[in-house]
Amino acid sequence: MPDTALAPAPAMGIASAGGRDNRVLPSVAAMPGDSGVWVFIFADMCAFAVFFALFAAGRIAQPALYEASRRQLDLALGLTNTLVLLTSGAFMAQAARSARAGNARATLRCLAATLGVGSLFGVSKTIEWSAKLNHGIGLTTNEFFTYYFVFTGIHFLHFVIGLGVLAVLIARVRADERAGDTLAAGRGRDTLRWIEAGGAYWHMVDLLWIVLFAMLYLMRGA
Amino acid sequence: MADRVDTRYWRFCAWMGPLFVAVFFVCWGLLGHNFPPFAPDAPASEVATYFRTHANGVRLGMVIAMSFAPAYGVWGYAVAKVLEQVIEKDNILVQLARVGAAWTTITILVPTSFWLTAAFRPEALPDWMIQMLYDMAWLLIDLAYAVTSVQLFALGVGFLADRRAVPLVPKWLAWYGIWVGFMFAVECIMPYFFSGAFARSGILNFWIEFLIWMVWVPVLTGYTLKAIGRIEREQANGA
Repeated sequence: MPDTALAPAPAMGIASAGGRDNRVLPSVAAMPGDSGVWVFIFADMCAFAVFFALFAAGRIAQPALYEASRRQLDLALGLTNTLVLLTSGAFMAQAARSARAGNARATLRCLAATLGVGSLFGVSKTIEWSAKLNHGIGLTTNEFFTYYFVFTGIHFLHFVIGLGVLAVLIARVRADERAGDTLAAGRGRDTLRWIEAGGAYWHMVDLLWIVLFAMLYLMRGA
Repeated sequence: MADRVDTRYWRFCAWMGPLFVAVFFVCWGLLGHNFPPFAPDAPASEVATYFRTHANGVRLGMVIAMSFAPAYGVWGYAVAKVLEQVIEKDNILVQLARVGAAWTTITILVPTSFWLTAAFRPEALPDWMIQMLYDMAWLLIDLAYAVTSVQLFALGVGFLADRRAVPLVPKWLAWYGIWVGFMFAVECIMPYFFSGAFARSGILNFWIEFLIWMVWVPVLTGYTLKAIGRIEREQANGA
């Protein structure tokens, strides 16, 4: 598979040296980010599709148990988590736009905002899990809560990895800036590719949570 | 990286990967009744009866599986040789890819010896003890996932560093390997379940986890063999 991400930069829209140019560059590849990262994302989505199918099958088999268990979830915290991740995702999208525009300062600010706002998801999730455990609800309470803890736990692992990716991206943009690299050429162009790849991953974390939120907290059973 | 390399035995070693998967599937999987395994909630008498009535089959399966376990390590070393053509051979990722493969061999050898122990004199062992050996082997082979993840991550990250216009190993495969390494972490919940998707015989912790790894080995072997040909042609053209 030829890697279009390593192809020469398109000769258009590069931010002018010294001046501020807000034109947005096209993505560095046919698909945003490293072409291979989409395989990771696709494979992950397939795994979650299996999870969702398992949950759906369990729900059909035991609708009353699933509905009674669903009512024990904290809808307000679930909604808070959703809003937090959506807001964080919006900052990530803006970070990628800023990076393509060659604006390293704005990119840094948006990546930091993505990380900062996104971290609140960790706080909220910890509160929610602690409350469940304190009420004696755990991994083996019933099938619904098994799926609840496992699926949200695996999602949380993705979230933690995402925070690590964001921290690395921030460090890399800072290093490029100190070295005088722009986001349009050389190592900076690689950084842009990784910002787009990290953005794709972070949006996947958003998307999976939205489906989990709808499936676990909102869908009413019998 | 730019030094000439002697590729004489690389192909032979690379073929050890698919050979290992095939032998392991038949001997450990089918003869040993591990593909799929007994569910954790199966009665001890059911497991014990299988070991007593199929003792010779299980013995044969485990002896051959143990004999071919090093084939995985040999294969891992062949892939690591190709990785040396992408990054410097002193790079820590090459070392980690090697030890990940070597450690995985150990985590195959040890649990297969437990299954073999259960089949050695099953008529003299109580049902619960045969079940315990069966459980112990499964807990070890599943929960040792992290050593294989070391190999998966090292190869994935290493091959992603390939700056060739057409990489020796495609980036999608490097990312797939990294994904498999992460997916293995789901094994951590296996000890909590006796039935369902997360049990050792369940759709997630058995079918998906084993199949995504068993697919990765032959696919990576195919690209490794192609890469060896490219390396040889590049050397011939450069001579």
